[in-house]
Amino acid sequence: MEKTFLKTSRLNQFLETLRLFGELHGPTVSESGVHRFSQLHDPAELQLDYRRTQIPPKKYLLPFREEILHYASGSYSEGYAGAGDLVLFGVHSCDLEGIAYLDRVFLAEPVDTGYATRRSRLTLIGISCEPDDFCFCTEGMESSSCDLFLDAVADGFRLSSHSARGTALLTAAEQLLEEGPPPAPRPSGPRLLPQDPQLRFSEHPLWRRFASTCVSCGACSVCCPTCYCFDVREYPSLSGGGTRIREWDNCLFASHGEVAGANFRPDRLDRLRYRFLHKYCGFTPLQGITSCVGCGRCKEVCPVGIDLRELTAPPEREER
Amino acid sequence: MRRMKLAITGLTACSGCQLTLLNCEDELPELLGHCELVYFPLAESGNVLDVQFDAAIVEGAVSTPKDLELLFKLRNASTHLVAYGTCALFGGVAAMNNRVSTRRELLRSVFGAGEKLPESFPPVPLANFVSVDAAVTGCPPEKQEIMELVVALAAGTLPPARSYPVCTECRSHENLCLLLEKRELCLGPVVQGGCNARCPATGIVCEGCRGPVREANVAQELELLLERGFGRDEIERRMSRFKPEWDYGKRS
Repeated sequence: MEKTFLKTSRLNQFLETLRLFGELHGPTVSESGVHRFSQLHDPAELQLDYRRTQIPPKKYLLPFREEILHYASGSYSEGYAGAGDLVLFGVHSCDLEGIAYLDRVFLAEPVDTGYATRRSRLTLIGISCEPDDFCFCTEGMESSSCDLFLDAVADGFRLSSHSARGTALLTAAEQLLEEGPPPAPRPSGPRLLPQDPQLRFSEHPLWRRFASTCVSCGACSVCCPTCYCFDVREYPSLSGGGTRIREWDNCLFASHGEVAGANFRPDRLDRLRYRFLHKYCGFTPLQGITSCVGCGRCKEVCPVGIDLRELTAPPEREER
Repeated sequence: MRRMKLAITGLTACSGCQLTLLNCEDELPELLGHCELVYFPLAESGNVLDVQFDAAIVEGAVSTPKDLELLFKLRNASTHLVAYGTCALFGGVAAMNNRVSTRRELLRSVFGAGEKLPESFPPVPLANFVSVDAAVTGCPPEKQEIMELVVALAAGTLPPARSYPVCTECRSHENLCLLLEKRELCLGPVVQGGCNARCPATGIVCEGCRGPVREANVAQELELLLERGFGRDEIERRMSRFKPEWDYGKRS
């Protein structure tokens, strides 16, 4: 039998071993009580029983705001700062699938240099989880889109490697591990089934209600593990050149579909239909691939309780 | 290269916006290589008004005949007129009681009953009287935003606009949502972002100092706050702290 079992009592030592592979980050809680991924200075900070972090791990690959280009007379340089090796520990299956989706977007041709650089230096260690009322993943599914996955059982974790780096991690931690049965094979990928794109034109009464209550605060997409829309803006500098920045955008902002002289999606209803299409049906070249991974963040952070998935169910008959 | 001629001044205001510009110490030396401060009474003497300006950066609301006279002079003499700060854009703190008390009542409470009252009228934004070419919001504005504007002007352009609410930056910085989690009177969803959610980041609600975001869903924000048990009067008092006029039925 392979040595793939980690006793809970050895978790801290295991975390120390992980530090050999890069700066160690994991789920922690901020002073104000917000769960987030952050650097683990001390294993005691680790919040392994967390439900979901406010911001998904995409922040490590696609920062909220970054300078992507500097230019001056006659020359330019791309602004990506050198990324260091990073080990992200304790990621749930939904967030791993979220990263797998972003990979399809940013690592496809033409490759996004900044994303690819950061991605190549990121080691992902998944962990099993308990869904709560906001989760809408398919229960029992487990993501293999990571280097190593930890399946939590009564007195420890069953480890399974999903990459060469994962195997290297197992080797490095060999003296901490014990023999144990390999984790029961579980169906991979908690993705939801894609919806019919025509549904976005449905006459469902909820469309109008959502369009009237949505405050366009941006929280749903800021907190979504697969929302990657960004805005690119340029600011001149006094020396004659300038800086180009990239910043997260949201399809519910008035400016999202705006072009010179017009707006592809002038009102909020159009924008909601567009969001539905992208989230649940996918579009070229990812047509037919839903990007919702069921993490439940959009539902939890929406100030007005909008859940676009309700649009896929037939409307409830109005009571007289 | 010809240096850009600038006028920087204030109408009815606290001078805080102009001070923000003066506080950009790191950038000022280089900036002065690109522009000539022809009229900047707060910072220097020997100001000249009867020239043609490339841009006039004007802080404050219009509230006295003298404000109006200066505003018209600057408008006529400038290629670009910039509304600088919340007062210039929305009326600001000076205008918060525009809908509550008459000007005469307010003046009497400040200057006393026996005194001769100065000539003034309810404070209003610059755009009520003149066309405005560019704006920088905030009370006070962010250093970065005023520098972006001045540098863009020097480069012969205007900076791109941000049009997302405070919530977007607030959530992205992983702050606790004061509206949802603490049920506090936070105006984040309807207020223009760009401040990096300074106040909510320290646990203080957004009081709306940057004015309304584009397409603010005011009616829904009102509903959200009423649901949380705040009274209509209290909500309107808070909302009008930096901008007296809101359309409480507006959804887009």
